[in-house]
Amino acid sequence: MKLQVAAGSPPEVRVAVADFLVYEAELLDDRRFEDWLELFTPDITYEAPIRVTRKAPHPTIVDDISFFDENLHSLTLRVRRLRTDVAWAEDPPSHTRRFVTNIRTRPAEVEEELEVRSSLMLFRSRGDLGAYDLIVGDRHDRLRAVDGELRIARRRILFDQSSLGTKNLGVFL
Amino acid sequence: MRVGTDITSRLSDTVQPELGRIPMFIYSDPDVYQLELERIFGRAWLFVAHESELPAAGDFVVREMGEQSVIVGRGDDATVRVFLNSCRHRGMRLACEDFGSVEMWRCPYHGFSYGSKGEFLGTFIGAPYEHVAYPGGLDREALHLIEARVGTYRGLIFATWDDDAQPLEEFLGNVRWYLDLLFGRAEMEVVGVPQKWVIPCGWKLPAENFAADAYHTATAHAFLARLGMVDSVAFGRDGYHVDPGNGHGLGIGVHDDAGSYYPAELQAEYASRLDPAQLKMLGRVKNLHGNVFPNMSFLQPNFIEVDGRRVSGIMLRAWQPAGPGRVQVYSWHLVERNGPDWWKRLGRRMYVQTFGMSGMFDQDDTENWEAQTRNATTSLTRRDEVMLHYAMGLDGGPPIADFPGPGDVYDGKFSEAAGRTFYRTWLDLLLEEPQ
Repeated sequence: MKLQVAAGSPPEVRVAVADFLVYEAELLDDRRFEDWLELFTPDITYEAPIRVTRKAPHPTIVDDISFFDENLHSLTLRVRRLRTDVAWAEDPPSHTRRFVTNIRTRPAEVEEELEVRSSLMLFRSRGDLGAYDLIVGDRHDRLRAVDGELRIARRRILFDQSSLGTKNLGVFL
Repeated sequence: MRVGTDITSRLSDTVQPELGRIPMFIYSDPDVYQLELERIFGRAWLFVAHESELPAAGDFVVREMGEQSVIVGRGDDATVRVFLNSCRHRGMRLACEDFGSVEMWRCPYHGFSYGSKGEFLGTFIGAPYEHVAYPGGLDREALHLIEARVGTYRGLIFATWDDDAQPLEEFLGNVRWYLDLLFGRAEMEVVGVPQKWVIPCGWKLPAENFAADAYHTATAHAFLARLGMVDSVAFGRDGYHVDPGNGHGLGIGVHDDAGSYYPAELQAEYASRLDPAQLKMLGRVKNLHGNVFPNMSFLQPNFIEVDGRRVSGIMLRAWQPAGPGRVQVYSWHLVERNGPDWWKRLGRRMYVQTFGMSGMFDQDDTENWEAQTRNATTSLTRRDEVMLHYAMGLDGGPPIADFPGPGDVYDGKFSEAAGRTFYRTWLDLLLEEPQ
């Protein structure tokens, strides 16, 4: 077991991180957006750069522009918008289910912080004909312990499509 | 007159733009779509890229003209050319990535290779065997890549398959004066790469929305007023509706505040590139949206406050048809290359938050376009034609006489005049037999 500890984080840390990310997914699927905002530190940066199709060995991520470029203020604005009666794209709301897997945790260079990488699959269904979209990506989070509670200080979402197959990003990831 | 009727007869009988009547079936009809690919996307000037995406010789991007994949590349002579992305030997794609930089195009199938001017160079990997396989030699001229005609205006690169098409400047016509305000006012550059995604809707719905629909903002984007981000829904009305002709269309939102909303650092560059009337108009612009026929849309969104400063980030769009009810969206963000850092940083953030794929405005539009397209398919089998209402402005006043820019300009943005011209241009092209 010593080897495992040396290679990553202690089991109790990994369990706490997994529980935290699953709890976050529950808040979003249950549309408890205000509670979800509580999970972020005030200095959160929430971004989603653009995946491109390139020949190897070129990088497939372009950082100069993104799908999300958010701070706590703009995330709060998005949530306030969703709570109006004119947020047409998500009212009636999509039926969503978030699957968080492949969670890897390692200490960050800053004490009290963790680098966490996870895979996210978001199932999103609207309307009829059995139609649904899958939004899949690689998430890189920086988690910080604040008064003994885990909080998200940075999130970077890397989508696994260079042309996304959902009509808008009216959902959080 | 309905089911089984020849498609061109049905179109000429039912599409009545001048009366403000458009039949719903045209949004999603497969026969209409095939005609559009042949007679509009097969011969109109189409936007493919911005020059700043190809800074050096050998740089290329892969785009579409209609459903056809094309390579937009800067040759070793610095000229931008557009080629069908298809090997002359067996039709394999030559460029299989979104963008890149190469010295030659080499087909991954049999090695047929092409220089940056589209010239056939040989079958490189198989070179030792070429004289064995083709003892009589290959006709190099006949193997030149299929090349489109290219024109550029203010950094915007357009291409057409029609060698007899009118010159690009003539096709753009009056809309040039207004394109100058966004793309000619300074040295502009694309930031990064376009966002790309798929919307299940017909390509005309977003195009006409940008050309001639200021009225939807009060409802579709009502959250702005609801959250106190604008004083009232009047931001959608105050300004001008412009019908420049040739199927293009735009709306300009203006303010009467003292001073311009644009950065002081850029005023000298603006003044050096715009004429005095354009410069004066730019100073009043608080939003500007439009569409260049058929499928290039542009937008300077309404200025809003981001992180304490009033900014607006330019957006450019291409609605690439990908089936009768399917569009692949390209969404670029552009900014003044010499702009101050805060303008670039906050303008990019503003673009992403309001009008990118996650944009708080964009989301609601996509919901409408999809549901309209779905409904349109029901009209394919109904015995009576379902006519839609495009009459806003028909009972309004004439164009104003003293506006500094060209085209038919109406006071107030609430008019669908340019939408009617969009469908008139569209119909005329669909009914015109190829030469």
